[in-house]
Amino acid sequence: MSGTRVPFLQPFLETRKLRRTGFCPAFLGGGLLGALVPAVNMAVRAESFTSQSGSPFRILMDANWQLMAQLNIFLVVCGACILYHTEYADNGIQKARSLPMRPLCLFLGKLTILAVSCLLPLCIEALSLLLCRAHWFSDSAGAGRQLLAGLAFELVLLLPTAAAMLFLSSMCQNMWISLGAGVILVFFSSMLPQGSAAVALMPFASPYRMLHQFSGREALWMCALCLGEVLLFCAAERIYHNIRRCFS
Amino acid sequence: MSEMNIIETQNLTKTYGDFTAVSHLNLHIKKGSVYGFLGPNGAGKSTTMKMLLGLAKPTSGSFHINRKSYPKDRIAILRDMGSFIEAPAFYGNLTGEENLEILRRILQLPKSAVADALELTGLTEHRKRQAKKYSLGMKQRLGLAGALLGHPPILILDEPTNGLDPIGIHEIRTLVRSLPEKYDCTVLVSSHLLPEVELMADDFGILNHGRLLFEGTMDALKRTAENAGLPTYNLEETFLSLIDMDNRNRGERI
Ligand SMILES: Nc1ncnc2c1ncn2[C@@H]1O[C@H](COP(=O)(O)OP(=O)(O)OP(=O)(O)O)[C@@H](O)[C@H]1O
Ligand SMILES: [Mg+2]
Repeated sequence: MSGTRVPFLQPFLETRKLRRTGFCPAFLGGGLLGALVPAVNMAVRAESFTSQSGSPFRILMDANWQLMAQLNIFLVVCGACILYHTEYADNGIQKARSLPMRPLCLFLGKLTILAVSCLLPLCIEALSLLLCRAHWFSDSAGAGRQLLAGLAFELVLLLPTAAAMLFLSSMCQNMWISLGAGVILVFFSSMLPQGSAAVALMPFASPYRMLHQFSGREALWMCALCLGEVLLFCAAERIYHNIRRCFS
Repeated sequence: MSEMNIIETQNLTKTYGDFTAVSHLNLHIKKGSVYGFLGPNGAGKSTTMKMLLGLAKPTSGSFHINRKSYPKDRIAILRDMGSFIEAPAFYGNLTGEENLEILRRILQLPKSAVADALELTGLTEHRKRQAKKYSLGMKQRLGLAGALLGHPPILILDEPTNGLDPIGIHEIRTLVRSLPEKYDCTVLVSSHLLPEVELMADDFGILNHGRLLFEGTMDALKRTAENAGLPTYNLEETFLSLIDMDNRNRGERI
């Protein structure tokens, strides 16, 4: 049946809707801003870091990741708002909902885009860490693998935030409400105690974690639970869709 | 259901809290006809159309479209329908052409469908302009182009001539009128004005406060009005007095 091809194509269609919305520049700019953090930090007080013992990446991450992660979360919040703002601004979503598509397709398409877009800032930031390491630290054994593993880990940890934020934006017709709520959540989550395992798994709080804080097994569990959270938000979106149809 | 009817509703009802927007509606829309759906503001026309499109969930009742039943065959039903509900719905950041291109891909139509729809609604000249910069009438035309894309067998048009200039109104009227013959299409078109739909429609349904007051052809309407002692020399009068009579009866009922 021809209709089955549509869900598969959905992310490609969703990217077409992003023209002239500032979505790509936002992610590029956000990534560059995040990349500046370790560079500036090193440039300003290099000795206090180079004098520490241990893996250079670890030192760099410990010193900079809090701020970089917060920037990434902000980007996800803005990205999710833009993705649904294009739908609500001129009521395009009504047309989308009356097309022969499964109701969840729209959400899944946007989630795919947001997840893939997160790769852009993460890669720019990884590149910046790599350059900082090469420039200020002498030891550079096994850099590539460590960096790639860290990158993949941080991407997975961003997914619950992306799903949660998209769920929120899909409920708010007015972008300012979802943006405001997202910003409040970002600040709220950054104030939560960092040690607790429950907090570590929460959307908006999980991206602050770093791979070297966990054993291999724990890291895998983290990833699995984060992916579980994403499924949970997809289910929530599905239920919300049914409820909304009763009141509209 | 009858073979002739492409859309049939059975006691279709929609309530919001304790307010009933559509009440036990039984519509019969013949295949290949233009059906004029009439009623004053708040009668429930848009709500009915939203239910047919699956945008709103019926509180009770059911409907069949093209021998498919809702909600089981929702996607198959939507594949047969082009729609335009209330205000035009589009992506303002995209050009008219890009808007239609997205719809075309989801509906898996040939490439020529976009140019065809643009031509049909007179937007070809403005296809490269961002849709949010369109004038009211151009937005309306874009909405229509989206509904007409690929000539679906069923068209649902909610006040399609809203905001159009007299020439535009005439064009759309002529277009709607010609659709059944040209593309073997069934059209459900809503309006506030009986004289306006009279020029387009074969059958009429008159809705007031969510209840269907009348369904049938123009001749049947005239006969009904005559029997009820209502004026028939002027369609506007007939329509107004029919609504007025119902409102008075309603007052007595409450
Ligand atoms: N989401 C909703 N919640 C509550 N009431 C609603 C909702 N949507 C519609 N209504 C009510 O249902 C009634 C019918 O509305 P509808 O939009 O179907 O009218 P209409 O016949 O299309 O009117 P118009 O000619 O003005 O477009 C109105 O009284 C409206 O206020
Ligand atoms: Mg209406």
